[in-house]
Amino acid sequence: MHSNRYIFIYSVVMVVVVAITLSIVVLILKPFQEANIRTEKIQNILTSINIQSNKKESQDMYKKYIKEELLIKNDGTYRQGSAFDVKLKDELKKDISKREMPLFIAETDDGKRHYIVPLWGRGLWGAIWGYISFNDDLNTVFGALFDHKSETPGLGAEISTRAFQEQFINKKIFDDNGNFVSVHVIKGGAPKGDIHGVDAISGGTITSNGVNMMLKENVGFYVNYFKTLKNTNNHE
Amino acid sequence: MSKFSFLSGKIGKLFLAPFGDDNPITVKVLGICSALAVTVKIKPAFVMALSVTVVTAFSNLIISLLRNGIPSRIRIIVQLVVVALMVIIVDQFLKAFVYDVSKQLSVFVGLIITNCIIMGRLEAFALANKPFPSFIDGLGNGFGYGLILIVVAFFRELLGSGTIWGYSIIPASLYAKNNGFYVNNGLMILPPTALIIIGLIIWWQRSRRKNLIDIS
Amino acid sequence: MEENLNIFIKSIFIDNMVFAYFLGMCSYLAVSKTVKTSTGLGIAVVFVLSITVPINYLAEKYLLAPGALSWLGDSFKEVDLSYLSFIIFIAIIASMVQLVEMFIEKVSPPLYSSLGIFLPLIAVNCAILGGALFMQEREYATIWEATSFGLGSGIGWMLAIVAIAAIREKLQYSHIPPALRGLGISFIITGLMGIAFMSFLGIKL
Repeated sequence: MHSNRYIFIYSVVMVVVVAITLSIVVLILKPFQEANIRTEKIQNILTSINIQSNKKESQDMYKKYIKEELLIKNDGTYRQGSAFDVKLKDELKKDISKREMPLFIAETDDGKRHYIVPLWGRGLWGAIWGYISFNDDLNTVFGALFDHKSETPGLGAEISTRAFQEQFINKKIFDDNGNFVSVHVIKGGAPKGDIHGVDAISGGTITSNGVNMMLKENVGFYVNYFKTLKNTNNHE
Repeated sequence: MSKFSFLSGKIGKLFLAPFGDDNPITVKVLGICSALAVTVKIKPAFVMALSVTVVTAFSNLIISLLRNGIPSRIRIIVQLVVVALMVIIVDQFLKAFVYDVSKQLSVFVGLIITNCIIMGRLEAFALANKPFPSFIDGLGNGFGYGLILIVVAFFRELLGSGTIWGYSIIPASLYAKNNGFYVNNGLMILPPTALIIIGLIIWWQRSRRKNLIDIS
Repeated sequence: MEENLNIFIKSIFIDNMVFAYFLGMCSYLAVSKTVKTSTGLGIAVVFVLSITVPINYLAEKYLLAPGALSWLGDSFKEVDLSYLSFIIFIAIIASMVQLVEMFIEKVSPPLYSSLGIFLPLIAVNCAILGGALFMQEREYATIWEATSFGLGSGIGWMLAIVAIAAIREKLQYSHIPPALRGLGISFIITGLMGIAFMSFLGIKL
């Protein structure tokens, strides 16, 4: 039988050794982990303007295509700022008038400008997120990307496949009268020629609803900015 | 036999037993939880199997080295701390080097801590044996566990998604959406099928090995 | 209040620990031979989950999450200890189990004699650590939500183990191929029960 004193010293030594080991491991690996997260984000943003990149070249591609990063307020005003570093999740917790949401402006090889809006929402089991990009008419979808933390494989998780995402291309977010209607995922399939709807994933109803909510809330935030921008574009 | 001198004798037996009659999942019923959640695709199952093997082997080794000094009253806590330490290290490595797989495994990496195989081997083997046999025992049990994981994942991925390690096996032209006749079995993707597949593996194993049959 | 009830019901039926995530399977399969012992273990799990989830919630909120240490002053705002969460959670669980065991032994010897043998089993039950990890992942807003989740998950787990034990008691009288008896058939039945429970999935509260 060991004495209480021995047990106590044993535990203290153990805790110290464990703490030191862990801190060293974390310290060494942190840069790698952060680089991974950063690279993934860059690749996601580029995918939303239909540019596939591998890990190595993504940094350079990002510099090449993304021309501006803006922070947008709900009333349509904006300022320059590092949109890349904004944590969308934290920003969405703030009061709507205090939010400053990120917007990326890209220029593709044909010289056209595209506006990329980041998305964040909830699916069935956890967070879902993505990026959607618009043509310079600020109405037509140019490309989209979705990803998820833990949706059901084969059902809700299908939102991260290109087949689902490519349906969004050329859909419109404003109706003919200029009202914001967003793009909807429609259960049972969107009617042919519907410019605001895409086919839902069978069996992934709650995830599809999550995507709808996410698009409506996140893109809706930018409507004032889009309208102001459209007016200035028209005057030019 | 002489060709595999490593695999004969005591050490070899320690290493090989968990693949068959001493399999942690199908015979000892340990470590089921994670076996089910990560077996939709082969790749995460493989990474999970590797992580569990590393954790079992090294925590077996560490506990075996410490076995004479551990105060018996806080034995369980010491074991948990060692296992948790190993798991955190593995988790950090996964996040740094195979980021996409670590995302798929999510909370199940953390749950390796309570994977009964590890605590079970620590209690039953490492506390009473020398470091080297303990290490081998850990390796063997880890691989035995991984074997079942990969077999289950193989069937689930093949039948549920029509792929192996992410590569399509079923020709695209056979699929119903391309005017073929074949449809992936969606049921295979859902977690309950993993249980049924393990049940069938147990059935198969026990009908070959009568000595394993449950009397009750 | 409504939100708490919502989480409570959801974690019993829809996000059931056993049928939706297959956590705590080791003790679920090992102890489910009779309804009586299963009930004992079930109660112990309910008890421990509803104690440890809120405590781990506090640990997460004031110690582990990025920026959680800001109550210590502005210079701690950037500290991110989340890599320690596994070890802190498991330490809290193990010590709580120990405390509960000692407490029950002192206060109620009869309860201890029926429940006591299960408590050490519980520290390594994945359902308990799973509860803590899911609580962390889902980011519950208040401690009450976390408690409802812990209690609900425990009851869900108990429901599952009592149900399988009842089925296994009846199985004694069934004619099953010898090689499938015991473990094999339990696996398959749990799978079928899991499929049945999936019908709760689409329900939105």
